[in-house]
Amino acid sequence: MSAKLQPNGSAEAPVENTSQLSIVGINFGNSYASIAVLTKEGEAECIANEDGERQIACAISFLGEEIYYGNQATHQLVKNSQNTIMGFRNLLGKKFSEIPQSQDTKSAPVIQHPDIADEPAYKVQILQPAPSPLPQSTHTSNLNTPAASHAPTPRSEPVPAERILSVFEVTTMFIANLVESAEDFLGTKIQGAVLTVPATFTDTQKEALEKAASAAGVHVLQLLDEAAAAVATTTSEQWAEGAPPDRTQLIVDLGASSLTLTLLSLRAGLAFVLASSHSPNISGTQIDDTLIKFFAADFTKKTKTPLAVCPSTGVADTRAEARLRLAIEHTKRTISASPGAATCSIESLKDGLDYTGAINRMRFDLLAHPIYTAAASAASALLASAGIDAHLVDELVYVGGNASLPGLDEALVLQAGFREDVETPFARGVVTGGGVGDPTTVLARGCAVQGALVAGIPAGEEYVAVREAYARAGDGDGGEGEAKRNGVRATGKTVGVLVPGAVEGVVSELGGVWVPVVHRETALPARRTVRFDVELDEGTKVLALEVWEVNESVRVEKVTAPPFEADDDDDEDEEEEPEEVEVKFHVVNKEVFLGAVQMQSLLGIQTKGKGKDAGKWFTTLEVQFVVETTGALKVDVKEVGEGGATGSLRVPAPGS
Amino acid sequence: MATVQTLPITAPALPKGYTPPVASSSSRLTAPHPSGHRILLPVGHAHLNHLRLALHHAHDFDSFDAHIASEREAKEKLLAAEGAAEDDHGVGDEEEPEDLLALDPKEWKKQDHYAVLGLSKFRYQATAEQIKIAHRKKVLKHHPDKKASNSPNETILGINVNQNTNDDAFFKCIQKAHEVLTNAEKRRQFDSVDPAFLESEEDLTLITATEFKNKKLDFFKTFAPIFELYSRFSRVQPVPGLGKLDATKAEVEGFYDFWYNFDSWRSFEWWDKEVNEGSDSRDDKRYTEKKNKSERARRKKEDTAKLRGLVDLTLSLDPRIKLIKQQEKEAREAKKAAAQPGKPPNKTKAQEEEEKKKAEEEAKKKEEEEKAARAEAKKAKAAAANAAKKARRQQRAAEEGA
Repeated sequence: MSAKLQPNGSAEAPVENTSQLSIVGINFGNSYASIAVLTKEGEAECIANEDGERQIACAISFLGEEIYYGNQATHQLVKNSQNTIMGFRNLLGKKFSEIPQSQDTKSAPVIQHPDIADEPAYKVQILQPAPSPLPQSTHTSNLNTPAASHAPTPRSEPVPAERILSVFEVTTMFIANLVESAEDFLGTKIQGAVLTVPATFTDTQKEALEKAASAAGVHVLQLLDEAAAAVATTTSEQWAEGAPPDRTQLIVDLGASSLTLTLLSLRAGLAFVLASSHSPNISGTQIDDTLIKFFAADFTKKTKTPLAVCPSTGVADTRAEARLRLAIEHTKRTISASPGAATCSIESLKDGLDYTGAINRMRFDLLAHPIYTAAASAASALLASAGIDAHLVDELVYVGGNASLPGLDEALVLQAGFREDVETPFARGVVTGGGVGDPTTVLARGCAVQGALVAGIPAGEEYVAVREAYARAGDGDGGEGEAKRNGVRATGKTVGVLVPGAVEGVVSELGGVWVPVVHRETALPARRTVRFDVELDEGTKVLALEVWEVNESVRVEKVTAPPFEADDDDDEDEEEEPEEVEVKFHVVNKEVFLGAVQMQSLLGIQTKGKGKDAGKWFTTLEVQFVVETTGALKVDVKEVGEGGATGSLRVPAPGS
Repeated sequence: MATVQTLPITAPALPKGYTPPVASSSSRLTAPHPSGHRILLPVGHAHLNHLRLALHHAHDFDSFDAHIASEREAKEKLLAAEGAAEDDHGVGDEEEPEDLLALDPKEWKKQDHYAVLGLSKFRYQATAEQIKIAHRKKVLKHHPDKKASNSPNETILGINVNQNTNDDAFFKCIQKAHEVLTNAEKRRQFDSVDPAFLESEEDLTLITATEFKNKKLDFFKTFAPIFELYSRFSRVQPVPGLGKLDATKAEVEGFYDFWYNFDSWRSFEWWDKEVNEGSDSRDDKRYTEKKNKSERARRKKEDTAKLRGLVDLTLSLDPRIKLIKQQEKEAREAKKAAAQPGKPPNKTKAQEEEEKKKAEEEAKKKEEEEKAARAEAKKAKAAAANAAKKARRQQRAAEEGA
């Protein structure tokens, strides 16, 4: 008889080799995290954890023998705040002396680690599980019966104890929890993960994060800047369908703890940062605070019970604030999702009094207006520092939990002076209902997409250098190596072709139709191919293209708005002066003429029928521009079709 | 490889008398921003391509294009090679003669299941994978849903009349064939009485000794196919073939040894009479079953006897046996001739026999010894078990006592 019992199967997820990549993308924010996996169709999808939360609060709470993660932990903030750890991500990899000491008592305070010098840590009260009963003896003989003793039987109750957790350990615990959620969802072990890091992270911090992830049993494929993660999503097919490949993007990341703006040049999938700004003083917490104040005032009005919040003093007020903070999470979500009023109900907010209040979107936007305005001015400042007019920004991308508020989009477009037809997820209507533009899931999905890409790089010898470029782990050279690998030259001005000729009804200052081919701020080397139709002169059938470098600018015209047709009853309005409205135009000025291509069309086709174009001759041209790293330009023009006419132009590199 | 962006633009015709402006030979692009001025975000396919372009192709698009093209070609080749391995070699693509399509699904016991699935050339050697592929192909072709629209309709008196009223008959046959061939037991039964086998069996095994001698047939050409035919039923594989004239004595003996002890899996359940469906009578059923059983046994016996007869016939006609006998005789005679001067050869013969006896005895002894050892081991084991039992009993008693 074997003494060992064989378990009847195991509960562990089996390791399988399915075609589905088990790659997880983790957006690891300071306040909230989210996880995304790849579906069977190869699309990234943000998944919910066991509690059904897609936005998982970065919090761990210790209560007795239990450990709570995520949104369950935030509920502990009400009565167990001293054992609840929050906001640990930003402290990762930092020394205790580097951390600003705050007197914030909302959650467990950061203390100096008692054993390790200059190491931030948290101290929590826990209950140690009861000592396990004596191990069973392997022999079955009566000799093993414990002798009678005077000592009492050991207590089988949990023992209160103190536990010191370094920031590193907390992060490891949290990441392990996230990965477990993903594994439960997929039913397989995770092969690798891509994590976001904020742009403010130093190399030591990145290294610390990577170590924490490995300690949690995750193979880190790549650490992505938050802006890069957003780009991974916005360049994915799902998002970019129908959008032009060359765009200037502004990524607005309004998180719970800060506002990050990143201006990007996105050129045929290649992206680089033109300018970025980080404002820790503009945050979602501020919106929360104003909302809490509003509801607290409402509570006082309704119940005649004083409630001082933000900042709050006294235990009752602090708890009431914590309760409110949890409840308005839901209110904000409702405001984001639907145009109607959102409620906020809390049982026993203070002194055993319940509270139910409502806020509509207009009132909410009024309350949040100062924050919106601050965000808009931050955007204006960023654009000014980059020397790019808001009119030239093609797309706004929102990221972060608080960016789902439609009021933010409206305020930003209006106040920072973006084009009216600027692409935003709100304009496209893809924010709510699990659309591609959902700001809360953009980063995690981008990470998952990138993870699939990196994991899919073939294992051949040839790709060693490529794979190394992604895995920055422990290369030691920090930012230097990255700058060397990814530093590129970029074009300064837009180059394109001008087809001379006049179009009916359009006044062109350029004397023809302008087709931009290689836009400004395009990473070099660049190759672009465009195809368009050209009308031909019936007699000569000559084609001519001029290659120009142009200067793009914005012209502002003051236009007097047409006076409103005011109703008779509001007389006082009539005395106001007609308002002057600034109208911006995108202007293209010819700068340098680089040459012309002239050729005889061979494949012109005469349009038949009765339409407006009947009897006219047309042909399709394909123009390819190649700009070398040196700045040399190669232009190849050909008629589409077999045996079409071809032409070319070569412009040597500048300075030669 | 470069993606082409199609613009919704129609450029106007060149105005008459157009002359292009003269470009100064010194006109250049504005110098690009210096390297390192912009740092790419390491994300997306475009960046991966950029990396490869920079790392392996020194920013040369043409070389990169060529590389991508060659890579794709290699991939395609690989895929093609994989596809070739997966290629079904025309499984199930056989022609379907009229009478095959006109099969009655009620008579499924009589149909040739391999022919129905278009696997006539594979027969008992068809793999499960091939059967699957063939079945899928046939279903795609003969599914009643498909047939309804494809079958030619004839117009009689202005009314569309579908002539093919028995649409799904062949489809039912296909399903039956699939059912039989995918079930190992049923397939074994069918293979035992495979119509194609029966046919060739009839052709080949009608030979008699007189016929063979009269027609002066070639021994190997006549008999080798017979054994090849039967070898499919052997439980032991591979089966030794008839071989050639120059086979050694051991080979020949091995061959006959094998075929005299032929272990066949052939059975005749397929020809069982079916129990009358309508009758509930248990006796009726039992009677039919009994009859079937005896019929099966009879057939099996017949089959075995037939094969044995064939082996006997082969043995009697085998030229090699004669040859071997003759050789042995010659050897003996040579020995005798050599033994004439003295007696040693005879003695040696006697010695040989003695040695043989000795060896046999030794083997016997060994066997006996082994037997004894085994018995002893058994005894010891039993004793140990007894002792353990005893000890346990004692212990229990002691515990109870305590």
